[in-house]
Amino acid sequence: MSSPSEQPRSAPASGVIHDIGYRPYSGPRLGEGAVAWAFFVTGLRNCFGLGRSGRSKILPMGLLAVMLLPALILVGVLVQAKDLLGLDEQIVPYSTYPITTQLLISVFVASQAPALISRDLRFRTITLYLARPGRRTTYVLVRVASLTAATFALIAAPLLLMYVGGLLADLPLGRETGRFAGALVGAALLAACLACTAALVAALTIRRGLAVTAVIVLLLVSYTVVATIQGIAFDSGNETVGEVAGVFSPYTLVNGVQVFLFDSPRATPTPPTGDAMGVFYLAAAALTVLAAIGAMLLRYRKVTG
Amino acid sequence: MSAVVSPTIARLGARSVFGRRRGVLLFILPLVLVGLAVLVRALVGEDLTATSDTLYGLGLAVIVPLVALLATTGVLAPEIDDGSISYLLAKPISRHTIVVSKLLVAGACVVLFAAVPMLVAGLVMMADEPDIGVAFALGSLAGGLAYCALFALLSVMTRHAVVVGLVYLLIWEGLLGGLLDGVRWLSVTRWAGAIADEVAGDLALVADLGATYAVVATVVVIVLGTWLTGRRLRGFNLTGDE
Amino acid sequence: MSTITLDHVSRWYRNVVAVNDVSMTIGPGVTGLLGPNGAGKSTLIALMSGFLAPSAGTVTLDGDPLWRNQAVYRTIGLVPEREALFDYLTGRQFVVANAELHGLPDPGAAAQASIALVEMSDAQDRVISTYSKGMRQRIKMASSLVHDPAVLLLDEPFNGMDPRQRMHLMDLLRRMGGEGRTVLFSSHILEEVEQVARQIEVVVAGRHAASGDFGAIRRLMTDRPNRFVLRTSDDRTMASVLLTDPSVRGARLRSEGGIELEASDFGRFSEVLPRLAREHGVRLLEVTPTDESLESVFAYLVSA
Repeated sequence: MSSPSEQPRSAPASGVIHDIGYRPYSGPRLGEGAVAWAFFVTGLRNCFGLGRSGRSKILPMGLLAVMLLPALILVGVLVQAKDLLGLDEQIVPYSTYPITTQLLISVFVASQAPALISRDLRFRTITLYLARPGRRTTYVLVRVASLTAATFALIAAPLLLMYVGGLLADLPLGRETGRFAGALVGAALLAACLACTAALVAALTIRRGLAVTAVIVLLLVSYTVVATIQGIAFDSGNETVGEVAGVFSPYTLVNGVQVFLFDSPRATPTPPTGDAMGVFYLAAAALTVLAAIGAMLLRYRKVTG
Repeated sequence: MSAVVSPTIARLGARSVFGRRRGVLLFILPLVLVGLAVLVRALVGEDLTATSDTLYGLGLAVIVPLVALLATTGVLAPEIDDGSISYLLAKPISRHTIVVSKLLVAGACVVLFAAVPMLVAGLVMMADEPDIGVAFALGSLAGGLAYCALFALLSVMTRHAVVVGLVYLLIWEGLLGGLLDGVRWLSVTRWAGAIADEVAGDLALVADLGATYAVVATVVVIVLGTWLTGRRLRGFNLTGDE
Repeated sequence: MSTITLDHVSRWYRNVVAVNDVSMTIGPGVTGLLGPNGAGKSTLIALMSGFLAPSAGTVTLDGDPLWRNQAVYRTIGLVPEREALFDYLTGRQFVVANAELHGLPDPGAAAQASIALVEMSDAQDRVISTYSKGMRQRIKMASSLVHDPAVLLLDEPFNGMDPRQRMHLMDLLRRMGGEGRTVLFSSHILEEVEQVARQIEVVVAGRHAASGDFGAIRRLMTDRPNRFVLRTSDDRTMASVLLTDPSVRGARLRSEGGIELEASDFGRFSEVLPRLAREHGVRLLEVTPTDESLESVFAYLVSA
């Protein structure tokens, strides 16, 4: 039913983009530093489930609560029954607490490292990050820093609780502050070791389930092996073997460093004795962190944007 | 098909476990065990306490469950996760056949990467008393198979099977098991320890846990776990839009 | 003859209703399941392939329920939408494995026949992880046809196919339908469904919106107005005159010239229009119906 048109329609010769109010952003832009900081904060928040779905908050928040619980109980006992039991120092030393709660810390690191690192690689959102200002190395370092900071928060929170509780229980301020400061250094070192190795494993095995398993396997098996060796070495009088073995698990390694640097009470059968062993422990700790980061940077070099 | 085991599914399962990076971890774990055994032998010679501590503390408590977890989730979890299990389910095969075939592969992994290395480690550490190695090998076989059945059930019930399995291992078997004695009635590791106790005779790994109970409990877990997994697969929700 | 019957089937999950009281019968021949994304097509196919249980109602194949019934897979071939396959196998190994799982007496030969049917014989010895998207679809088809099923369910089969592959698949589906098999495929692209399916089932927001031949559906919608665009020498006069006739439901003057018209009675309108135009001295320059295809049926149903 269409009749031929009598007036030829003149087709427009060129296209036109209408101004509907879209404006590109031409204001000031913050530099790479600000980008890195924002990224760091986001990563840190994501580790505790903030900024992610509701279900992802359960595990990290739950672990944090369970980490604080024993500390709370210890502080309660200290404050209430100090005179009764004749306590003049923390029931569980600051430096020992992380080793006792290592399973919780390991689960935290094992579950959050894949969320920060494996997800971007598996679902290729890494290409979005690499297309923005900020180099590849910045991405890697900031991610590792976020994970380290989150782990540090997890480890240090109960220590802080114990410190405050200790002060409330009238423990000597100078001594407690010194011990607490040493413990914080240890916590930072432990967080760095754990986070870097977990991040490396997560970057290598990008499936989440497998990454979680691999990190747990690594941390759990290493600790069990080292503890076994140290126990046997101690019983059989070959302490040196136990001391050397201690560098192969982050928990024993950092505890050894704290024993060496701050004279903290020992939590392992064979902590490092003597300066040479102490320096060896320090070097091993530094090597763990640096080698892991280096390996990660190498791995990310292969990722194409 | 009325066969209990489908060779095709077993073959596919074996390729699935070893064709990915999971396979690497499966090889590393027994190497660590045997390596430690050699080290302990070098340190203290033939010492029963050291041997049983190592084989129980590292072997039964850590290596065996982890091998079972890796192997079982390796044959089930990736296929459920990406939906390719629909190719196995859309066939006129009994679901129990599917489960049994896959568990056969997982069980073979337990034998290869847990039980045999336990035997080797036991022989390395106590060459004079070979029944120690045999005892632990049998215990790890029992415990490993029970874990396989458990983790299989987990794999078909939740997408986060691996994480849940690990949390179970670490919290229930690890943390609580160390703290509370009552856990031993419901702990696969302790059943395995009791079985090893019985076979070797003088180990005293687990207090107050009869071998009969341990064996029965293990068998119940294996059979019930397998059967429930099959039942769950019969009515398995799989939409295309996941 | 294999017929899938859905009887007042609903499927909900928490407070999301994916399928809402759908009743349909899928018989021999090619049926297209049409609907926008999120309409519930994949859910319906999952219900029909025994991978979901209906929350209410029954889904049966020739009277046998599909849920928890593995024997039914002898007669059903399923081509799922998800891309994941056994990547480490070659195409041939994959199809042979499927044939073995069906318990076929000669899995190798059946696999070869099926692979030849989808024109994958050249690439069958390459590992599936090296396949392109279209090749994966074809090998999936091969695996679903290897046991000569009477029912074939395909979830978005044309996804990712280039025009030549699409034509080939359409041919294949038509042939299957012509052989008397029950073929159901889902799509949200109207042209695909138009060209292949005799029968369409339209699903919108979980509800069964329409069923039948698309022309027939169109004819059934007598209360649905026809739309036209007119260009005339005097739009305003024409519009006001047309509105006086009961067959015209509405008229709108377009800013760029022309009239958008809604007519409720096509027959009467087609007779009235030229007469009125001549009576009032308005010249008709262009009369274009704007809704002659599945597109308009679809758009109407979606907006309803």
